[in-house]
Amino acid sequence: MIRIITYLIFLMSCPLCAIAQVSVTGSVIEKDSREPLAGASVIIKGPDGKIKKYTTSKADGSFSLSIPTTDSCRLEVTMISFAKQSLPLDSITLPATIEMVPGATILKEVTVKADRIREQGDTITYDVASFAQSQDGSIGDVLGRMPGISVESSGKVQYQGKDINRFYIEGSDLLGGKYGIATNGISHADVGSVEVMENHQPMQVLSGVAFSDQAAINLRLKDKAKATWSVSGSAAGGYSHQPAGGLWKEELFAMAAMTGFQNITTIKTNNTGDDLSTQANDFFASRRGTDLTRYVGVSLPGVPSLNKERTLFNRSALISTNDLWKFGRGELKAQIDYTYNRVASDASNITTYFLSQANRVVTENRSGVDRSHALSAKVIYELNQKTSFINNTLKTNLNWDNVTLDVTGSLTNDQSASLPDYFISNDFKLIQRIRGKHIITILSKNEWESMPQTLSTIISSERSRQRVRDHAFYTDETIGYSFTFNGITVGLEGGVKGYIRSLNTVLTGLPDLTDGPESAESFTNVLSTNYFSIYATPKMEYWLRRVNFTLNLPLSFAHYTFDKALANRSEAYFSPSLSVNWKPNNRISMGLRGGSGRKPMDLSMIQPGYVMTNYRSFRRGVDDFYNNTSQNLSANFSFKHTRRGVFANAVVLQSWNQRPYTLAQQLYGDYVLYSYSPARSKASTFLATANVGKTLDFMRGSANINGSFNRSESHLLSESQAVNSVSSTWSAGAKINGAPLRWLSFDYSISYSASRLAISGSSASWLGSLENSMTLSIIPYKKWHCKINGEHYLNEIAADSYKHVLLVDAEISYSLTKQIGLTASLSNLFNHRTYYYKTYNQLNSFESLRWLRGRELLLTISFKK
Amino acid sequence: MNRIITFLIFFLIVLLAFAQEKADIAVSYDYTYPTTRDKIQTTPMTLLASHDRSKYFNSLSLWIDSLKSTPEGKAQYMEILKQSCLTIEPDGTMSWDLRKGPTKTVYTYIFTDNDAALLTVYGKWGDDLGFYTEPLAEIEWNIISDSTATMLGYECILAETDYHGRHWKAWFTPEIPVCFGPWKLRGLPGLILKATCDGAFSFTATGLESTDREMTTIYSPADYERVDRKKAQAQHEYHVNNAEAIFKAQNGGNATLTYQDDEGNPIDAPVYNPAKHSIEPDYKN
Repeated sequence: MIRIITYLIFLMSCPLCAIAQVSVTGSVIEKDSREPLAGASVIIKGPDGKIKKYTTSKADGSFSLSIPTTDSCRLEVTMISFAKQSLPLDSITLPATIEMVPGATILKEVTVKADRIREQGDTITYDVASFAQSQDGSIGDVLGRMPGISVESSGKVQYQGKDINRFYIEGSDLLGGKYGIATNGISHADVGSVEVMENHQPMQVLSGVAFSDQAAINLRLKDKAKATWSVSGSAAGGYSHQPAGGLWKEELFAMAAMTGFQNITTIKTNNTGDDLSTQANDFFASRRGTDLTRYVGVSLPGVPSLNKERTLFNRSALISTNDLWKFGRGELKAQIDYTYNRVASDASNITTYFLSQANRVVTENRSGVDRSHALSAKVIYELNQKTSFINNTLKTNLNWDNVTLDVTGSLTNDQSASLPDYFISNDFKLIQRIRGKHIITILSKNEWESMPQTLSTIISSERSRQRVRDHAFYTDETIGYSFTFNGITVGLEGGVKGYIRSLNTVLTGLPDLTDGPESAESFTNVLSTNYFSIYATPKMEYWLRRVNFTLNLPLSFAHYTFDKALANRSEAYFSPSLSVNWKPNNRISMGLRGGSGRKPMDLSMIQPGYVMTNYRSFRRGVDDFYNNTSQNLSANFSFKHTRRGVFANAVVLQSWNQRPYTLAQQLYGDYVLYSYSPARSKASTFLATANVGKTLDFMRGSANINGSFNRSESHLLSESQAVNSVSSTWSAGAKINGAPLRWLSFDYSISYSASRLAISGSSASWLGSLENSMTLSIIPYKKWHCKINGEHYLNEIAADSYKHVLLVDAEISYSLTKQIGLTASLSNLFNHRTYYYKTYNQLNSFESLRWLRGRELLLTISFKK
Repeated sequence: MNRIITFLIFFLIVLLAFAQEKADIAVSYDYTYPTTRDKIQTTPMTLLASHDRSKYFNSLSLWIDSLKSTPEGKAQYMEILKQSCLTIEPDGTMSWDLRKGPTKTVYTYIFTDNDAALLTVYGKWGDDLGFYTEPLAEIEWNIISDSTATMLGYECILAETDYHGRHWKAWFTPEIPVCFGPWKLRGLPGLILKATCDGAFSFTATGLESTDREMTTIYSPADYERVDRKKAQAQHEYHVNNAEAIFKAQNGGNATLTYQDDEGNPIDAPVYNPAKHSIEPDYKN
């Protein structure tokens, strides 16, 4: 029965179909040339806009479709690189000739990428374009978004919680530790990928012999930025409400990355709150052997927990030029940097000194200017090969720092300090590998430093003047030998160190310290601290499967002479350390490190007479020679899964220090005298940090969470009474960024930190601060770009008493051409001009009223070649 | 003789110049497929397409093949492999771990040519490289206009087809008027951004951009021999399921093959089941 019905329906419908079919034929041609176009997509859409039939045009441009009815249907012809044609089918004559006009098919591009993170051996490659957001400028902005890599506020780059040990551009180490010049200067659009080389041993001669737990970063430039000069710059001018007046911000950056030559030159200046002197910081600089420290400590009020750009009233300039020439097998590098930073600062402060009987309160209004100039020059020759390594570095750092500070309040005064620092050094290093297994090292280090300091104060028309003359010469000559067999490297380094230092301090115009030290000798130091030391460091490194053991046993004998000021001393020191690193597979690595030992004290603390460090404080060191002992233990763990884009690391650290002297403070009227008394003091520090990062591929973004806890305990004397203090800090934060829509990207970060100070058993309450910051970047039309940035700070000033600050900025940019862009930005829209905060340190609390940069309008024109 | 060689070279260059064409668009896809160890694996693939041609491949394989196509490149590639895979322990022992380096794991290249109405598939079946061609008319799509989805910000329409033993669902966007897609899937009035089938195979577009890259022809074409698709696929099945016997035959009968999982524990030899592991199981019919 069913079969019969089906047959009948079939019989009835067949003629109907045959009658209703309309044949739609035609050809597709290019309008101007009249050439047929093959491969065009031809679609018939019904009245509801849905696809009824489709085909593609053949080699002769023809197409043919059949459809039951053409009523209210449209014929749409599309082809890449041509404008779309859409015609009502009932009004065209068939066969139709569709004329196509060339037109751009604008793709809503979603960057094509192989993988955002790739791993090959020990190298991890991050694709820059897939981490960059539209609001980013330099490569430094993008680095911070890559899981596993973090950029500290100073510009220092870390990988999995550890500082990197080299920063290469196209495989060449042009900038050394001053890589801030590159991270702040190179446009992310010029960089194709960022490579992280794990366990990087920068000296090839030591590869496979000396273990490194640090990583290096290499920037792989795009072809367009290679073998040519790329130049970019911007000029900006504007107006600010506070400080009232004109604004400027000019930048010029030029880079050449050729095969035999590299150069980066940058010139920048601004008064918009960006301290440029930090961009030339050398993050790889090791501690100077001359080891001079400033006695005079006049500094402008520090920056509170607020973005530095919000509070810095500056005029800064940076000029840096860096060259690298490759010739033969070696390379020659020359670097010259000059930075200038003038910072003006005003603050109203209330300082409370915690004393066991009653607290003492000092109020002051400070207004000061700090002008610092720094000039540094470096010439490096390096030969880095598998069998030999030679490096000679000649450098000089000349700094001038002049500070003036006027204070009104409890103790009205004017201070001005001149704090130059002159340093010159030459380091020579030669490492030679002989017959694969034997390594000979020769090191020679010579340093000279002079740090004259002058502090002049006027207190109620009484003038005082503190002069400090401090010079030192340091030399270190080492020879080392090591050899390798069956995975064990045994080495011995030995050498001599010599140190000559003279200190001269004079104070003229003694202040009136009621009941305090009054004799002029108490305020004078004429002193030499010299030593001669012979040392030997046996070292053993052993590989057992994937575990590396490194044992260091430095032993030294030193003779100290003090030019009759103190009795001469001879001391022996031994401070062994052991580290174990285990990398069971490519994803996990962990390490354990421990050390213990005895060290000579910081020689700059030998200072029997008082030195005026600022108008209110005097400091005296110890009048004898002491040794410190310390122990430390640390563990670290890191995990990565590059395909999933997960990176995690954690570090736990505990250290103990014992000193035979302790810091004491004594108040005489409004003056504070710091001194060290011979008493056993102990301090211990515990630190734990953890960090987890993950890529968020669905929105081309990444996320990061981090946490840290820090507890330090110390024991010191205040007004002849013992004070135990425990300070604890913990923090947690999260960051997320991404581009969920083609025209929208965002950056959001939240961080919370809380701290508490407990003195002699009585705990203050935890004080927290919460910071939220959000940047939205919108591309409403092609060539236009808007950015809105909001920062919210919630600071707990006292228990359960909070302070809110909301700062909002807006920016709009227009790309005139590919090379030239225009930007107008308005920062601090609500024109908040003051900020109040309170902080604690070991012995006092500090309340301050600070001034913020007010509403600012800045117009920028930028160009790029 | 020299003249003939010159002429031949000239002819080849002309031929290459004609054969190569610039692409208009580059699309990256994630290709997901089941392995014989009952895992789902994802491999990145790339599609270059113009209005009448397309080329579908794996970028790493293309890079390796292009490098290995010249003697200097080959040496350079070996050097790269050595640097990333060869570990020399301090005690002098050497170990190779090819998983660490850039090695070729995807052999598939698919060239589609609308003018010739042909697609050419290059691949590896069993141990042998080969290629076959196929007329384009083999896919007949059925558009389900009511089903739409947004992929990478493009509105896509669903279309369905039965092809070589599997039922495919593809999402294409008329906003990008090229009739190509991942793998052999093509012939819709717009780019295919996603495709899934009744097995655990799928293609998902992860990015796209306009481009002027050359769609170069296959590197080292002489390495590939013409095969019959169904026979090659049957041979591949045989090769996987009889790996031990083949290995023994090649090594004089005294070798054994063992299999390990990722943790190094011994496991049974994987079994290739076409219904599960072949994207075109129709060769069994």
